[in-house]
Amino acid sequence: MRGLFQRRRVDTTLLLAVLALLGIGLLLVASSTLGGRNAELTGRQAMWMGVGIALMLGMLAVDYRVLLKFSFPIYAASLAPLVYLLALGHRIAHVRSWVRFGGYQFQPAEVAKVATALLLAYLFENEQDRRLRPAALGKLFAMVLVPCLLVFLQPDLGLALTFVPLLLVGMYFGRMRRRYWALLAAALVVCCAVGWLFLKDYQKQRITTFVHPDVDVSGAGYQVRQSKIAVGSGGLVGKGYRRGTQSQLRFLPVRHTDFIFAVLAEEFGFLGVLVVLSLYATVVLRGLRLATHARDRGGAFLVLGLTACLFFSVMLNTGMMIGLFPTTGIPLPLLSYGGSSVATTLASIGLILSVEARRFANA
Amino acid sequence: MRLRGSSSEERESFQRMIEVAFIAAAFAFAAMATAYWYTQIVRGDYYFKLSENNRLRSVAVTAARGVIYDRHGVPLAENEPSYTLYLYRRETKNLAASIDTAVSLLGLPREDVERRVARYRTYFDFVPIALAENLTIGEVAAIEARGAEDPEFAVGVGQRRLYTKGTGAQAIGYLSEASPNQIAAQPDRYRPGVAIGQRGIESAYQDLLAGRDGERRIIVDSFGHETAEESREDPVPGRNLTLTIDERLQEVAERYFQNRVGSAVAMDPKTGQILAMISAPSYDPNLFSRRMTGTQWATLVDNPFRPLQNRAIQNVYSPGSAFKVFLAVEGLAGGYITPDTKVFCPGYATFYGRAFKCHKKEGHGWVNLREAIRGSCDVYFYTLGKRMGIEKIAEAARAFGFGKPTGLDLPNEKAGLVPSEEWSEKVRKAHWYPSETISVAIGQGPLLVTSLQLARGLAGLVNGGRFPRPHLFLSAQDAQTGGRFEYFDGTEERMKIDPAIVGQVEDAMWAVVNEPGGTAYLSRLPGLDLCGKTGSVQVVAQKDTKKEGSLPFEKRDHAWFIGFAPRRDPKIVIAVFVEHGQHGASAAAPLARDLAATYLGVPIPHPAEPGEPPAGAPAPTTIAAARAAASLPAPARNAAPITEARR
Repeated sequence: MRGLFQRRRVDTTLLLAVLALLGIGLLLVASSTLGGRNAELTGRQAMWMGVGIALMLGMLAVDYRVLLKFSFPIYAASLAPLVYLLALGHRIAHVRSWVRFGGYQFQPAEVAKVATALLLAYLFENEQDRRLRPAALGKLFAMVLVPCLLVFLQPDLGLALTFVPLLLVGMYFGRMRRRYWALLAAALVVCCAVGWLFLKDYQKQRITTFVHPDVDVSGAGYQVRQSKIAVGSGGLVGKGYRRGTQSQLRFLPVRHTDFIFAVLAEEFGFLGVLVVLSLYATVVLRGLRLATHARDRGGAFLVLGLTACLFFSVMLNTGMMIGLFPTTGIPLPLLSYGGSSVATTLASIGLILSVEARRFANA
Repeated sequence: MRLRGSSSEERESFQRMIEVAFIAAAFAFAAMATAYWYTQIVRGDYYFKLSENNRLRSVAVTAARGVIYDRHGVPLAENEPSYTLYLYRRETKNLAASIDTAVSLLGLPREDVERRVARYRTYFDFVPIALAENLTIGEVAAIEARGAEDPEFAVGVGQRRLYTKGTGAQAIGYLSEASPNQIAAQPDRYRPGVAIGQRGIESAYQDLLAGRDGERRIIVDSFGHETAEESREDPVPGRNLTLTIDERLQEVAERYFQNRVGSAVAMDPKTGQILAMISAPSYDPNLFSRRMTGTQWATLVDNPFRPLQNRAIQNVYSPGSAFKVFLAVEGLAGGYITPDTKVFCPGYATFYGRAFKCHKKEGHGWVNLREAIRGSCDVYFYTLGKRMGIEKIAEAARAFGFGKPTGLDLPNEKAGLVPSEEWSEKVRKAHWYPSETISVAIGQGPLLVTSLQLARGLAGLVNGGRFPRPHLFLSAQDAQTGGRFEYFDGTEERMKIDPAIVGQVEDAMWAVVNEPGGTAYLSRLPGLDLCGKTGSVQVVAQKDTKKEGSLPFEKRDHAWFIGFAPRRDPKIVIAVFVEHGQHGASAAAPLARDLAATYLGVPIPHPAEPGEPPAGAPAPTTIAAARAAASLPAPARNAAPITEARR
């Protein structure tokens, strides 16, 4: 591994941006858990970051092509806990998305996402046709929609949505035919209409709230309203670290996890927002740039899939803070408190770096 | 870029696709940054205000209400801490169980508690619900002891009014929650739930007593819990009020009026300062600042004798023979009589073809003015009244202030009525009968006055024509600065009376109490030098007055006594009215004597006794009795509250 760094094969731009985000994330978790019963979470988060960095280095050390070869068993293994959860899982806050072991809880959906990205890359490594064949398209939909559906049934709409970018990556970069796009668009409209009937009440409420945020100020609309107030009141430079009134006086809901970006916006203002958005842009855009370096289609698709997932989560989460998107309950990668999210995101970064590090045929 | 097995053309096309994605992603980040710029920079001030509204709460700090003292500094109305039970729904695991606990702990009516909780259904659950006010110390202890098991209950400390003596309840008034109308009238002063002065002094001097509430701006968390205080504006306490009232006199009168109905007013004739003002039956003003039950309220409102009414200024009655002294002054001044004019009283007289009786059946014989006043000879005053005619009588009555409010500093004072021919045409739509003039001459008929008007008229008489305005306000003190301001009134009414005439009438009034044959001779007290005039008002026409003692309560005559003491340089004038008291001499004069003696420091060997509960049981009048009887049913409704004198 020393060799990897010495020969400048590890992309330091991406790595530094990720480390900077981790540092900022730790600061924000510390601020948002100040003085409450969550005070010990900062330490836990630091520990998870350590685990995540170890995973990242591990992914960097292993040749991704080996992982691609075993991608189907990995994928299958990652689905097992999802099935287990649906059958036997405990509900935490309405949903069965956590596996407990010891004193820890883990969200297997995050792992399944990385495994799906691997399987996607493996599919396109071997799918060399100029246009996406219907058989390959079928495989693509199956591999993404199976975990997506399992998560949706937990039911965790937000996490389920985070599988969608993988589908889009496959369809777009795999060059799906135009008529399929049209067909899919039509199917989507029908699905939305039918799906509305099957949504849980609280999920419907979130969407209604998104459309009419002032209908229910004390209930579901409360979260969006409070996070908008937090963000907006931050102004240009913010209220100062640990001085966000919305956050410290607990007007902001789940502020150390899903709403951590609002804490940033309130305490560090628009300048803080710009810095963090720039760091995320660096990670995403650098990821796209690295995809062009990949030595093979599998590597390129692996990087594209993982980068797209990251991009999608960042956009959805930051947009949710100011009411651009409905509240779906997805964490902000690298910043939000949560071991599964941080560890798997860092593992994804490790995979991206691994593809980049092996861009030369002789490596 | 090496993509194994793909042509360079395909490689280039793949690269272009990634470039499109690159530009799209960059654009998305820029768009997101713009959205944040809009929220934080363009709309920043708006959201900052909202966040300030979120964290800051304004809490009113109630100003301590001014204490009310009597003229010697005896506190009449003070403040004491009061405790309120609050329910925090957010801490409640099971609302029904919490209600059960409150009901069993304090013995509250369940419907009452449920109604209060239901009223807050639409509020945020961090808004505390006031379940019960005015907890006892024992109840507070019981709640505090259960703090660990029932964290949803909290006790809040406030202030409530304590009427230490409870005497003169109608004159002092009471505090209770501002009504919606009162809030609507002064929305910037009163908010819902605030206790303000109702009736009496508490109402008349509300602004002075209330002070100005302060405000605390506190920082709260999303649960509404206070985390810090940002700023505070201290309340300005209300001014302490010293009244002209002499509590010693109040207690004498209050005791006397036990089981009686009526009113008493004592006044300093020189200044118009009210020394005593009692109305019976009375009530406990403390009931209003405590948990008043529906039964207690019903008892007050349904009582036919209207305990809430201040009879000294709000009930009007015929003055009876007490009016004779005022008529005598005008009779002498107008030359209708001289002190030596004599009239023969055979026990009745005939005017306009109708016989008018004197109260003394066997007649007074030949009487001059002094003897006529001393013995209260009706025939003498029938004669005088006939000579004067109704217009001259009305003029005399108005000159002494009857027929208009005295201007006392309490709300809702009645004007009374001075009848005249014009009044009869306009209001009654009937001709004035000359025979009515004969009745008015002895204070019967449509002539109606309040106790206070009689006291004020008498004060003007003994002052030789100077009528100071009656008042209860003596001075107000600012508790913080020690600043003090005193009562001042430059608008004193005057009328011209020959001092000789005043002396003649005063002499006759002295004889009423201090000479054998005087109607109030039994109430004389050595060293007191009490002067006065008795009166009685017939309630229903009596064919045979001998049976009076056995009459039902509500048909008995009313009793008046007006008086002053001492004879030279009077210090106190008094008007006592006892409803259905039968004789002024026996029912009203003894209290006047005790009031004057108490005020002037003359020992009273045999103080007047409180009333016996009569068959027609009027409402209790003392505080102790009112408290005890609050749960008892009200007296029968058929007892008439106000009765008209016979015409």
